[in-house]
Amino acid sequence: MRGRCALAMLLAATVCTGAEWDWQLPPGFPRPLIPAGNGLSVAKVELGRHLFYDKRMSVNGGQSCASCHKQELAFTDGRARAEGTTGQLHPRSSMSLVNVAYAVTLTWAHPGMTQLEKQALAPMLGTEPVELGLAGHEEQFLQTLRGDAAYRELFPKAFPDQTEPFTLENVTKALAAFERTIVSLRSPYDRYRWGGQQSALSPSARRGELIFFSGERGGCFHCHGGWNFSGAVAGEKVVHSGRGGDGFTNTGVSRYTAPNRGVFEHTGKNADLGRFRAPTLRNIALTAPYMHDGSMATLEEVVDHYARGGRYASPNKDSLIQPLALSPEDRLDLIEFLRSLTDVEMTRDARWSDPWEVRNRPPQ
Amino acid sequence: MCNRVLLFFLLMTLGAAAQDSTPSVQITGGVTRPLTLTSGDLARMPRATLKASDHGVETVYEGVWVHEVLKRAGVPQGDQLRGKALAAYVLVHAQDGYQVVYSLAELDPSFTGNQVLLADTANGKPLFGERGRFQLVAPGDKAHARSVRMLTGLEVVQLRK
Repeated sequence: MRGRCALAMLLAATVCTGAEWDWQLPPGFPRPLIPAGNGLSVAKVELGRHLFYDKRMSVNGGQSCASCHKQELAFTDGRARAEGTTGQLHPRSSMSLVNVAYAVTLTWAHPGMTQLEKQALAPMLGTEPVELGLAGHEEQFLQTLRGDAAYRELFPKAFPDQTEPFTLENVTKALAAFERTIVSLRSPYDRYRWGGQQSALSPSARRGELIFFSGERGGCFHCHGGWNFSGAVAGEKVVHSGRGGDGFTNTGVSRYTAPNRGVFEHTGKNADLGRFRAPTLRNIALTAPYMHDGSMATLEEVVDHYARGGRYASPNKDSLIQPLALSPEDRLDLIEFLRSLTDVEMTRDARWSDPWEVRNRPPQ
Repeated sequence: MCNRVLLFFLLMTLGAAAQDSTPSVQITGGVTRPLTLTSGDLARMPRATLKASDHGVETVYEGVWVHEVLKRAGVPQGDQLRGKALAAYVLVHAQDGYQVVYSLAELDPSFTGNQVLLADTANGKPLFGERGRFQLVAPGDKAHARSVRMLTGLEVVQLRK
């Protein structure tokens, strides 16, 4: 009992002093970069977790961030296109938040969206489409937070130097801090590749690994490279620019009509038509349906798409998207390998779960 | 007697199969001494280590400098690397058919400070999986394309006859 009390006191002290987050990274892995204006503390992450799972984050109490980013689905929503709290459909599929701390760019096709703090404002205040629908209701939303006993405890701990911590800026900072902590590096493949546990991968997955990493056979690694199986990544002592110099590629997935013309939507340059971000393939077995428009229901469809050299012709299609000589067995092996990237521990890690499950659920 | 003969041939066959499956790097082409190098052979050669970043994951590779391997195969080095030899290159072969080229001068420490390692261990463990049993590590290259994984051979090709 005494030990339990001591532990509780230690935890309380840790939160109060704004202790640094323990990343629990495997040896040798780079720590994520933390922006100077939003240092990461345990208290701030905890506040962000509460906000992330709070449906009062939406104008009608219908949705929270977690509605489109479910932990059990590697922080995606299982839908082809995300749906906002008023029923409006987003043109694109909800992206995974796993390892977002390492992502150089954050969305499907916006090269300028690089800060999580800034990105959080899009679902909160965006009107095309409406996601959480808080635009015009900001003060009312902050007043709701001020009126909640849990937040009256959490906000001052997260921002101890501020006399009035209930601001929209602090909400985005706390959300960003929480999202940065969602690091997934505990898949069977990680145990095999970096943990030396040969038995963690089946013979089929090992054959699939060779196809994935062979430029002569699959070449998947060209766009989904490195330990994050993604385009551009950044961390302490590491910057990897990704395919195309920025990690955006045209893979012949669609006819690329508005509003899904890729990077073109932001630059207006013809060369950017159809260029979309290569997301991480970690936990890809959990994040169906696939592609920016959710147009492929299964991994089998995705592999077939690449094996035939892309579904649609496009003048900007990446030169690497060419027909592949993959037998049915090769395709099964490749999918088995992709399944080995699933980090089951991430899907049930209490650090990223709904805190309101153990507190009193707030009024909806 | 018949059983003994059968057993003999069985053991011979198994032995040959085991030998064939031992991973190795072939040093072939315009060399005076073609070589087949296993990890055991590399362990008896001058060893070298280098620290490199594998997409941000710190990795210590150990192996043998490629110029040491080429020297053992009788490839001209240092002062001998003159004239026609300067128009020779090394065609690197990988298990999946991937190929890249280095010129001999690029691999010679008397010409350049950028040495290339024929690695067989990473962080103290034998290479495996997508890297194959052997891998080139070229820390002087900005891109990773010539750090050939699944390495199977170095073929010296003379352009000027």
